[in-house]
Amino acid sequence: MFRKLLFALLVGLLLAGCGPALTATPSPVATQLPATAVPSASVNPSISLTDGLNRSVTLASPAQRVVSLAPSNTEILFSIDAGRQVVGRDETSDYPSEALSLPTVGGYSGYNLEAIVALHPDLVLAGGVNTPELVASLEQLGLTVYYLPNPSTLEEMYANLDTVAGLTGHETESAALVSSLKLRVAAVDAAIAPLSYGPTVYYELDATDPTKPYTAGPGSFVDLLISRAGGINVGASLQGQWAQISLEQLVVANPAIIILGDSAYGETSQKVAARPGWGTLAAVQSGQMFPFDDNLVSRPGPRLVDGLEALAKLLHPGVFK
Amino acid sequence: MRIRPYFYTLSFLCVTVVLSIAIGSVFIPLTDLGRILLGWLNREPFTEPLKTFAFILTDIRLPRTALILLTGAALGGSGAAYQGLFRNPLADPYLIGVASGAGLGAVLAMSIKWSYSFWGLLAVPVAAFLGALLTVFLVYTLARVGKTIPTTNLILAGVAFGSFATALTTYLMLRSTGELHRAIAWLSGGSSQAGWEPVLAILPFLAIGLGVLLLSGNALNLLQFGDDQAQQMGLPVTRTRTLILLAASLATAAAVSFSGIIGFIGLIVPHVMRLWFGADYRRLLPLSLIGGASSLMLADIIARSVMAPQELPVGIVTALVGAPFFLWVLRRAKNQGFW
Repeated sequence: MFRKLLFALLVGLLLAGCGPALTATPSPVATQLPATAVPSASVNPSISLTDGLNRSVTLASPAQRVVSLAPSNTEILFSIDAGRQVVGRDETSDYPSEALSLPTVGGYSGYNLEAIVALHPDLVLAGGVNTPELVASLEQLGLTVYYLPNPSTLEEMYANLDTVAGLTGHETESAALVSSLKLRVAAVDAAIAPLSYGPTVYYELDATDPTKPYTAGPGSFVDLLISRAGGINVGASLQGQWAQISLEQLVVANPAIIILGDSAYGETSQKVAARPGWGTLAAVQSGQMFPFDDNLVSRPGPRLVDGLEALAKLLHPGVFK
Repeated sequence: MRIRPYFYTLSFLCVTVVLSIAIGSVFIPLTDLGRILLGWLNREPFTEPLKTFAFILTDIRLPRTALILLTGAALGGSGAAYQGLFRNPLADPYLIGVASGAGLGAVLAMSIKWSYSFWGLLAVPVAAFLGALLTVFLVYTLARVGKTIPTTNLILAGVAFGSFATALTTYLMLRSTGELHRAIAWLSGGSSQAGWEPVLAILPFLAIGLGVLLLSGNALNLLQFGDDQAQQMGLPVTRTRTLILLAASLATAAAVSFSGIIGFIGLIVPHVMRLWFGADYRRLLPLSLIGGASSLMLADIIARSVMAPQELPVGIVTALVGAPFFLWVLRRAKNQGFW
């Protein structure tokens, strides 16, 4: 009996030794950014906005220590030049590469409240992937939390950029970014408009079961961007943003192009062609199957426009070079 | 070897509580822990980094430790009571549908968009609690034959209703787009809400439920002789069984409402206690309470350490670590005929 106890104690002590030593001291240097990094801070002393949960969020001045809880939020922060004000990120925030050097505070399977508190953030930027319970917990710990809702249109995505810019004091950069994004989208629109032909597209999210794979349904950004890029999404008539399509339906729809959003999980055109029953699809016979970076279309940030351009190139290779 | 069960289990519990307070993703040196303790005693204000450490202790680690302690105690105690009640080694606190009912309630509440308000935030735990109690009530009513509740009926009704509720839960999860992660985390015991409110909210239910269980050791001992003999010995069998069943279910329902479904603790802790310290329910019940609390605490420490700062749902750890441990205890057990 005593040996058991000793064993358990040893295991516990071992674990204690293994815990990562995350120092909790905030570096005083990081809080005093050069004045140039905070434009227009003195003009508008207090920032008050209503977030996606209808909470009113007030900041005395632009946030200087931001913890981002969603990859899209991290991408937005860096895209408007607020990257230097980010002090922590969630596990899945892997873009841009500068973000990777930031400490992580957990991910989908669990966010670590201690790690967040220890970073002394003056703003926690939560996203659509986070639960209201998490927001409440952080709020209860005395932190300022802004819940940035997922956009459903490009216009709403632009508005999110402006919102984050307002919270971090980067309105100028955001305005410039939004107008350049709009120009790029307009360029795609202009090139697509005269075309009379739109290929049918099957966008694959997950084909663990190749007899009924998951594809992007109506209301998803993939669906929106495929139509914007001059294609016809075969998943558009299904139900839900993550929709299952049966192989039978897929054979009837007979897509001209297959886009492998699951290429990061090892799906290749060879594997698709080898799936039983898939050989009859037009896209398989003509070899029109392309690996695709799903992060460009699944994270509602400024890279959605990159995703739109990439899709347009795949769908209309003659028009876009 | 003379066995002093309370000494061993309570000291193990103390060790896990101390570890649970000392270990976290933010490393707090033992010397700083001591200084914080002294500061509290002398009512001194803290300076950084002690101020942050003290805040993490009072607002994150202590409430979490307390919630885990209560949840583990409820699962261990209820598990022992269920096993005694059904005289079945496979019985656990989820046998007659508490888990599947709570899961259905929680996932149902997640599929609705609540406003960000006091009650909106309580929707999931309240729905889970009500789902669990409603399921137990339904199963109990369905299993009833006249004035008796045959054990077999109760188990079969529980299994059937459990499958029904699980199927509905799975359907709701497949239909939802954004809430899948949240639902899976909840169903595998990975829910964590900060602050003392969850602890205070479940405390009265646990006090009633576990209080009744602690007093029912003698009755459970009598029930081991079989219903007829227990009746002859003067025990009002049906009433006693109903009372114990309700008390155990109440405690379990409250425990899972905030923490999510944590498996295995309620099944193996009573077995381990029985193997080590004997089958007398007057002792087995309090020991299972203590054992449940300390083993869940240990599982939680592992859950937040192995992948830190990411956290694993604690329900995964209890099964992953608990199953091999239990098999080891079972292999070493000398008194095989302990049932």
